[in-house]
Amino acid sequence: MRIVVLVKQVPDTADVRRLDVNNGLLDRDAGEPIVDEINERALEVALRYKDEHKAAEVVVLSMGPENAIKSIRKALSMGADSGVHVVDESLAGADALLTSLAISRALEQTRFDLVIAGNESTDGNGGIVPAMLSERLGVPLLGFLANVEITEAQVSGERQGDDGTVNVHAGLPAIMTVTERFDYARFPNFKGIMTAKRKPVETVTLAELGLDAAEVSSLDRTEVISTAERPARAAGTKIEDDGNAAATLVEFLATNRLV
Amino acid sequence: MTRMSQYQPPVKDIVFLLEHVAGYPDIAGLPGFEHADLDTVVGILEECGNFMAKVVAPTNRAGDKEGARWKPDGSVVTPTGFKEAYKQYVDAGWGSVPLPEEFGGGGFPRTVGLIIQEMMMSANLGFSLCPLLTQGAIEALLHYGDDELKQRYLPKMVTGEWAGTMNLTEPQAGSDVGALTTRAVRQDDGTYAISGQKIFITFGDHDLSEQIVHLVLARIPGAPEGTRGISCFIVPKFLVNDDGSLGERNPVHTVSIEHKMGIHGAPTCVLSYEDATGYLIGEANLGMRIMFVMMNSARLSVGTQGLAVAELAYQQSLEYAKERRQGRAVGATEDSAIIDFPDVRRMLMTQKASIAALRSLMLLNASYVDHSMHEPEENARKRADEIAGLLTPICKSFGTDLGNELTSLALQIHGGMGYIEETGMAQHVRDVRIAAIYEGTNGIQAADLVGRKLGVRDGASVMEFLASMREIDAQLAEAGDQFASIRAELTKQLDALDQATAWMLRAGRADPNAVLAGSSPYLRMWGLCTGAWLLARAALAGQATGDAEVAETQLVLARFFAEQILPQCSGLLNSAIAGADDLFALGPAML
Amino acid sequence: MAHILVLAEISRHGHVADSARGLLALASRLGDPIAVVATREPLADDLIARLGSLGATQVYQAQSEQADTALVAPQVEALAAAVATLNPAAVLLSHSFDGREAAARLAVRTGSGVLVDAIDVRTEDGRIIASGSVYGGNYLVDSTTTGMPIITVRPGAIDESAPAASAQVISETVTVDAAKAGMIDSYNDAPEVSVRPELLGAKKVVSGGRGFGSKENFAMVEELADALGAAVGASRAAVDAGYSPQTTQVGQTGVSVSPDLYIALGISGAIQHRAGMQTAKTIVAINKDADAPIFDVADFGIVGDVFTIVPQLIETIKSRSA
Repeated sequence: MRIVVLVKQVPDTADVRRLDVNNGLLDRDAGEPIVDEINERALEVALRYKDEHKAAEVVVLSMGPENAIKSIRKALSMGADSGVHVVDESLAGADALLTSLAISRALEQTRFDLVIAGNESTDGNGGIVPAMLSERLGVPLLGFLANVEITEAQVSGERQGDDGTVNVHAGLPAIMTVTERFDYARFPNFKGIMTAKRKPVETVTLAELGLDAAEVSSLDRTEVISTAERPARAAGTKIEDDGNAAATLVEFLATNRLV
Repeated sequence: MTRMSQYQPPVKDIVFLLEHVAGYPDIAGLPGFEHADLDTVVGILEECGNFMAKVVAPTNRAGDKEGARWKPDGSVVTPTGFKEAYKQYVDAGWGSVPLPEEFGGGGFPRTVGLIIQEMMMSANLGFSLCPLLTQGAIEALLHYGDDELKQRYLPKMVTGEWAGTMNLTEPQAGSDVGALTTRAVRQDDGTYAISGQKIFITFGDHDLSEQIVHLVLARIPGAPEGTRGISCFIVPKFLVNDDGSLGERNPVHTVSIEHKMGIHGAPTCVLSYEDATGYLIGEANLGMRIMFVMMNSARLSVGTQGLAVAELAYQQSLEYAKERRQGRAVGATEDSAIIDFPDVRRMLMTQKASIAALRSLMLLNASYVDHSMHEPEENARKRADEIAGLLTPICKSFGTDLGNELTSLALQIHGGMGYIEETGMAQHVRDVRIAAIYEGTNGIQAADLVGRKLGVRDGASVMEFLASMREIDAQLAEAGDQFASIRAELTKQLDALDQATAWMLRAGRADPNAVLAGSSPYLRMWGLCTGAWLLARAALAGQATGDAEVAETQLVLARFFAEQILPQCSGLLNSAIAGADDLFALGPAML
Repeated sequence: MAHILVLAEISRHGHVADSARGLLALASRLGDPIAVVATREPLADDLIARLGSLGATQVYQAQSEQADTALVAPQVEALAAAVATLNPAAVLLSHSFDGREAAARLAVRTGSGVLVDAIDVRTEDGRIIASGSVYGGNYLVDSTTTGMPIITVRPGAIDESAPAASAQVISETVTVDAAKAGMIDSYNDAPEVSVRPELLGAKKVVSGGRGFGSKENFAMVEELADALGAAVGASRAAVDAGYSPQTTQVGQTGVSVSPDLYIALGISGAIQHRAGMQTAKTIVAINKDADAPIFDVADFGIVGDVFTIVPQLIETIKSRSA
């Protein structure tokens, strides 16, 4: 079983994240870049399978700037076997359509039985790249899973729905995405960090993926046309509870027609 | 909803000092450390810091509030979360990083191990004592144990699956270890039957590990009086079968645990040995030598405890100072965060600069320990050992004295809230207090400095070190006007330290009491000068990075320390060389 | 008028999803709203009438044998067929679980750009522009795409309705390649049919934090929500502690809400929580810790004990409505 886990490096949600208002792109200098937590949960799914099935191979694949190698190394130190880093200047600011094209090519080259991704990133919140990959690669997608069972032949689990959940399955090869219902990932341990240094990471450019500039520029492209920073909220009234605070609050709500 | 104490491992600060002040690249260049290059170390420290912050730090409050508990059946239970955190700590392997590869360790330098300790101590001082004591026991075994003992005990102690303790103190034998009376009687099978009572045994019993390996100082009948007749034994909580599995329970019992001022999470036990089976480490009557191996290492670690708690308290006080609004600063039109008030800034800067100085000092000491063990040339090893020996009492005393003072400042910034347990500041003040006491009180450290370390090679060792500190003068002169005040102050204060040192060397021969009387202020002069010297080195290194922000930060810290803290040094000169007359002028009845 | 396609999601019990109203309203702003539905059996008359009443002038019903068994793929086939036939100016879908997957797969088919999680859509100089709020509402971003935009719309973001129409039905048959689709085995309905509003799109939200200390105590949050007719939310800490289900999590990695009223009880207001609620019109916070960051964004803050104040609030509100 060859499992590829998709990893995205994002700004830490615990820091203040900024957009460059000139081009609508992420200001990469603001906020510490880290592995998006949902991807770590995805990796944990793969690693647990590997814990049980020693022959399984876990590959982490990340598309991002040079420093995304850090996230790949972290995943390797947690237990992944090898890494693929898709890096190309012309991918800066890539939208989902282009991203999915590049990643799908990389996945074809890397080969997989199962791709595990997070349901959505904390910086884009789109949650659409995995479905695009499924379409491009012609393999089924089980998205937004709350739990999963992986066997040699298929993957099955409980998918979040708008009213209740849905039990779903798909034959391999397939793609699945995890939600926060999955467990936190393990911490990298010391031995893992030391062995990670010796694990292979392949760096690939768009050209190496067989994508030329013409193909890339032929895609419809989304663009940000304006960005406005929302004015910071100002603190309003703050009172200490003297026993009447509840009554005062209800008056406030009534005045504002909220009750 | 009290704010949780959010410890942020200061990995960037640490790595800067590690590289530029402690000269880490030189350590990584020593034979045996090929795998321990700076990049690898940074990767380890980042993950380790993350672990300490996310897994260990959350147990700190429960450790204080609940404390370890002694149960009537004689067992000891650690506070909520300790057991799980310890298991994860063992799984992660952080304790094994600086230990020899031969026994499953990572074979990294002691310097790296010390940083891991610092972060764990900040995360939870009480918790950190269990691995700390284990490491002490490991070092004693490594140096003096025979192969059989090493093979039997070390691998599981290196992973942390088995914990260790150090058993020195007895009710009548505290600072005076030579007074101990625990007996070790040789049995026919070559083992010893150990009997006696030990007190103040940190993590003497607990539920974190399946096995506890006690290192016990005891006296074999007929041995010489005093410290020369002390031997060191391994006494495992459970006897170890030949296949390595745990066997019978050894008769060592926890009589009670202490109710302490701080570090509530760490059980401090009274242990009773009742003909417990013990194994001699090394030879008979080598106990004190073995203990010194453990203690030198432990003293540097305890000095780092002062730094570690000060760092945690600083982080919280800085956060508080940014958020707490109270009154208006000069020129403000609305209520100001208290960080805008000069006196609060004074406290914050004092903390930040002193923490940087302490950290530099600890790392420098650790780097000399590494050089003393791994330099290819014997002379280089010897010299490094001398310097490590000189710096150890300074690190322990100055580190924990400042640890107490800085933590108290952090509490002060919180105003009345600092005195309320809810903010957690009181815990830090209580926790760090012990660091100035155990592992040789700070007074004993000062006595060690003037009594043992100054006398090395008749004072030549210390004079050479002082001279080497002066070498920075030319670099500061070259670095430009910005460094002028640092240079001037450092020269002036090193003059004072030279003067005091000359007096100590002279007076020491004739009047030991006079030297001891001034030893504590003298040790502080050392701390101030070495701290300022290392910050000046950091400032020069900062300038050399070409990174404007780093250069500015390091320069301001060095300047603030040199101009506003270092001058205390010459103020201490008089008390350092005053002699003992006035200390004894009033008899006990008049005091 | 340009055709605007809307994917109308139909629940397995045969109800038109709530999202259809807002999507059709937006579509009618941009052009001629056409509802696209994937279905196994021909749609019932009342369902077609319902879509018409929400503004659909036409209903494109794509019949597929796998409509009930294949995951999302039937919707993708339905949309792809409709796009081919009707050559629309835009396709609108809900930013729901099924909606975004359908949007993404359709985009690959048609080579179109996807504008995700829009809170508003407008036409400007002939271009269709979607507005979204990113980074926890810290930024408002307008984006567009070359070619035909596929837009997913944040549930609950659109208040308005389209004028009712009389929907004409276009029927088509589509096939799904089952090998390329996930398959549905069975459904687990949400355990209780709650009378409480859905968190997404709710006008009022009452959220509780870890300060409640237990699941039992957390019931107080629900009681206040019921008294106000509000949805129930929770901080991640409260969810992690098991006081409230994960579906109630408000914040960066949970649900983002923009209600008229958001009441945060015992929530300190970590940056990740604020990212999910700071676009609320009015924020009320009750917290013991006077320095809790939640007060920085609260229009009305009370420094006090939730266990004292919340019962008083419930009583006062109940007595008002009595």
